[in-house]
Amino acid sequence: MKNRLKVLRAERNWTQAQLADALDVSRQTVNAIETGKFDPSLPLAFRAARLFDLHIEEIFHDPALDQDGSNLATEIKKDTHV
Amino acid sequence: MNQRKPPENGYQSRIRTNVIRLFYWNGAWAAATLLMALGPKFLWNKALVLTLLTIGLDLAVGVGMILANKKYVMELDELQRKVFLNALAITVGVGLIASPPLSVLDAYHVIHFHANLGLLIILMSLTFLVSLLYGTWRYR
Repeated sequence: MKNRLKVLRAERNWTQAQLADALDVSRQTVNAIETGKFDPSLPLAFRAARLFDLHIEEIFHDPALDQDGSNLATEIKKDTHV
Repeated sequence: MNQRKPPENGYQSRIRTNVIRLFYWNGAWAAATLLMALGPKFLWNKALVLTLLTIGLDLAVGVGMILANKKYVMELDELQRKVFLNALAITVGVGLIASPPLSVLDAYHVIHFHANLGLLIILMSLTFLVSLLYGTWRYR
């Protein structure tokens, strides 16, 4: 899963330690999420969304959906029109 | 650009407190085990009542150590808990698969030392330590 955590953190001039403290996790966990080595649980993703005042999908997104998402959306549209 | 500081809640200080608590419980358990193992021979000349009392003390402190360990694991964040559980799974696996070959090697005098429970505890402790360090390094 890809995420914009590093960008959002940099925009606010926060250190990884500060973000970790705000999310109630270790700095190692923030680093692992930012580098894509670890995918957060849904509760942690919600906490991040609340902290940055964004929707979850504005922070985290599935790379597979980037490629197939448009096709999938078209198929769903077709199905609903039938 | 928003430069406000995020709210703080002290995950690190909470974990530090738990680690210190765990350290004291581990130390107390090691001391109680040592007393239970050496006391009958060197301190009270195998007096049954004192031996039974130290066994009871060792078990009680052991339960305290388990509870402190449980509290520590439950308060870890999800990544740290994953690393801890992976290390634990590897340790249990190594302990399980190493025991029968060790006892066979001991029974047929292939190894020149006695494969007792202490050896297994040392093996499992080292496995846990290495697995934990590897997991921490992997997600650093």
